[in-house]
Amino acid sequence: MAQKQQIYETTFIINASLDDPQIDTIVDKVKDVIVKHHGEIMELVKWGRKRFAYPIRKKNNGFYVVFEFKSTGDLVAKLERHFLLEENIIRFLIIALDKKALQARISGNDLLKQAAPPVPSTSGSPLVAAVPAEDLDVPEVPISPIKI
Amino acid sequence: MAMTPQRSSNPRGPNRGPHSGPPQRGGYQRNASPNGQRSTNRQQQQRKKRTCRFCDAKDVYIDYKNEKRLQRFVSEQGKIIPRRITGTCARHQRQLVIAIKRARHLALLSFVNDAVS
Repeated sequence: MAQKQQIYETTFIINASLDDPQIDTIVDKVKDVIVKHHGEIMELVKWGRKRFAYPIRKKNNGFYVVFEFKSTGDLVAKLERHFLLEENIIRFLIIALDKKALQARISGNDLLKQAAPPVPSTSGSPLVAAVPAEDLDVPEVPISPIKI
Repeated sequence: MAMTPQRSSNPRGPNRGPHSGPPQRGGYQRNASPNGQRSTNRQQQQRKKRTCRFCDAKDVYIDYKNEKRLQRFVSEQGKIIPRRITGTCARHQRQLVIAIKRARHLALLSFVNDAVS
């Protein structure tokens, strides 16, 4: 009966020894689970391979992926179940973004993409959009001195 | 001039027991410099007190994904540094601790590092 839509963020780690197309299929499967249960995906960021601070299942690195999506509360349990069943996903974390986190997102202190390596993400990241538009247009000023 | 009888020798000086007043000059004093000022150590500690870094930066949310930032609040051994040392305010320390624990779960930070001896 959870009718309230909330914004969730999930970070999960995929086994890094897989090939890139296999990793993409796993990510797509997660996306399908979200979409199938009427969730709306807002962000998808792939961090790529990153070294662990401690070995997990005898491995030292993994492929990190971050999803941000909007849905009702019942999707969370289903997503967790999917993560547990998928044997190539070795860790996951699903959190609901509270209002302070959302406030930080809106004000542009978004660390979602700042933590990511410089990979072009789907939507405009704060790093890429950091250069304001007016700086890009260099006005054509004549070199001659201005006489007042 | 009547002499007050000497009581049993007290390391704090004659006639000074637990209920006596402020430390007297010339007597035994803890943490005192020769000019009678108390606890220069405490002055040094008070000078080191900084304002909360997150309050200064007006941070509303401490993200667990930014492990480089979180690493400053974790000791060499991997332990979370208490806030009396970092100067963080209570509210941000609570958020920081949650963020560090989430980062540890995702192997962005370690739980324990071998002590460098």
